[in-house]
Amino acid sequence: MHWLAIHLPALSLEALAPTDARAPLAVSDRVAGHPAILLCNEAAAAAGIVPGMRIGAARALSGSLRVRRRDAGREAHLLEGLALWAGRFSSQIVLAPPRGLLLEMQGSKRLFGGTLPLLRQVREGLNEMGHHAILCMAPTPAGALLLAEAGRQKMIRDLPGLHRHLASLSLQQLPLPREQQEALQNMGMMCLGDLLQLPGPGLGRRLGRAFLDQLDRLLGRRPDPRPLFRPPARFHRHLELPAEVESVAALQFAAHRLILQLSGFLTARQAGTLQLEWRLVHPRGEVTRFRLGLLSPERCPERLQTLLQERLERLVLPAPVREIGLTVERLEPLAGRPGVLFDARAGSEPEAGEQLLERLRARLGEQAVTGIRLVPDHRPERAWCHCTPGRQAGMDVVWQLRGERPLWLLPEPVPLEEQEGRPWWHGRLVLEGERERIEAGWWDGAPVARDYFAARTPAGGRLWLYRELRGERRWYLQGFY
Amino acid sequence: MRIPVDSGRSGVLENLLQQRTDLWRGKVPVSPRLPVIASGFGPLDTALAAGGWPRGALVEILPDGAGSGDVELLLPALAVLAREFRWIVLVAPPWIPYAPAFAAGGVDPARLLLLTPPTEPERLWALEQALRSGVCGAVLAWPRRPTGARLRRLQLAAEAGGGIGFLFHSGAGTERFSPAALRLRVRRSDERLAVDILKQRQGRGGSVVVESRGQESEVRI
Repeated sequence: MHWLAIHLPALSLEALAPTDARAPLAVSDRVAGHPAILLCNEAAAAAGIVPGMRIGAARALSGSLRVRRRDAGREAHLLEGLALWAGRFSSQIVLAPPRGLLLEMQGSKRLFGGTLPLLRQVREGLNEMGHHAILCMAPTPAGALLLAEAGRQKMIRDLPGLHRHLASLSLQQLPLPREQQEALQNMGMMCLGDLLQLPGPGLGRRLGRAFLDQLDRLLGRRPDPRPLFRPPARFHRHLELPAEVESVAALQFAAHRLILQLSGFLTARQAGTLQLEWRLVHPRGEVTRFRLGLLSPERCPERLQTLLQERLERLVLPAPVREIGLTVERLEPLAGRPGVLFDARAGSEPEAGEQLLERLRARLGEQAVTGIRLVPDHRPERAWCHCTPGRQAGMDVVWQLRGERPLWLLPEPVPLEEQEGRPWWHGRLVLEGERERIEAGWWDGAPVARDYFAARTPAGGRLWLYRELRGERRWYLQGFY
Repeated sequence: MRIPVDSGRSGVLENLLQQRTDLWRGKVPVSPRLPVIASGFGPLDTALAAGGWPRGALVEILPDGAGSGDVELLLPALAVLAREFRWIVLVAPPWIPYAPAFAAGGVDPARLLLLTPPTEPERLWALEQALRSGVCGAVLAWPRRPTGARLRRLQLAAEAGGGIGFLFHSGAGTERFSPAALRLRVRRSDERLAVDILKQRQGRGGSVVVESRGQESEVRI
């Protein structure tokens, strides 16, 4: 097994979404009953503030220092988001709260072309999301985590290597209770290596069986089963923005993180999705919601991002945005792509067609992107209808028409003037060809009784007309050839 | 007129002629460089320098009023493209494309994609996207006033995607430069369609009259 530990030393700070990295900021927590500085950003460190310092002392060093209390809830939310994101790299993920994650890499390294490319992608992803992280890979989860927490960025492939690296750790870096730390110091031991040279039974007597077990798991002498992170049934995440944003680019950037999490989540669930529901929360609590639909189940982050961009570019925001939310309720199996519109026979990838359609729908709205199909009805205006592109019934309708039909239909028939008993439209119309009588629809309350003709304008245009058989027997223009 | 052959300069010229499809030598026999699709009308294919509708290019069509038969002229080619399982895209047509007539002309309505963006910039965007996508055999659009720069962009999109962009417009201001491979006027002449070739890349203008096909009395789709 190869375990990758991701240690996030600044998670408490990153969870607070600071507005300006140049302003000194610190996170406080209770240390031994007193509020003290837990972590601070670089600007605060430059003023001489260090972790462990009392808040009063820190404020004395920097007048503009902002101190915010540690928010364990946000940290847990952030860590869970990272676990979702990591789903694209590994199928076995372990949460190591408060600031760590473990990914089993043995199973996924082939998928990414080796361990190094995989590690590089993990690193790049973390950088992109603005996380300071220490990565350490080792054969045991406890070993990887311990070395990462000690700041060692290593790629250790075997147990002897692990033992060598662990041996150099100082004993203070071990997660041990104070009494045990003191006991070990009294025995004159400085580093883990000193400890490992002692015979096991003696060590067990002094420090207890539980300690020995812990050591064995660390060294890989005893299995270390850990509960795996289970992605939830549906994806429902939000992201507070560091500042209120209005620009599409800034929204895109923030949404990218949610899309990466979604993609990891879908990979872990071995699924795709057909619909993304976005929420943009404005400062006064108003919410702009919109949906992004896909034609086939998808989880590729680039494609989802492109679609979102199309949609955002035509979105009119009533106010700046301070929070983004993304929900995906339904997961779809990825195998088997429906849709008949794009076909491998077209000589290009079917995905190219679907991507075009999705981009058009995202940018123009679904009502502006339609297909048309035949409807078996004798009434000309009912012989067609709009439909979802790509979802037509196919070639199974056999439909007979007697007369010639125009390529263009008017949305509504236009009543025509009559002069000397002849229909008139930009001049006197000359009727051509045979009359076609259409009487239909008496059964559903929209009956038509008409005589249809082709006609020619003086300028040469060909029109499609009809004359009502009942009532005023008026002429109407219904289409153009 | 002969083009003076100067070793240094002609190299540059040759390069330009090779690279740009909107540059060609006048009165030089056509090199069958561009793939074409037969128009389905013999006399028209003969009159067209490329031997048919040029794929990966723009064709400007100036209709002669409503019902002039401009799209009827394209129908046989659209039918072929539809049978290739390519998309026929209509961007904001002036009226409803009537599915029964397209079906009667051999164009499976399932291959038609109707785009109705509300604004002109969105229509041009959609037109460009469709041309560029590589999945559309033909994109028919009715742009209001295509500028030279915009047409150039569309021409590049058509080249990239390999489809034909048929642009129908009134012809106002058509005297200026256009990167379109063809510019035609279509009108009816009795039972037939008269096509005036106003401009064509690598070829001459001229007029040709083709039979209006009408449609078969029985339609099977």
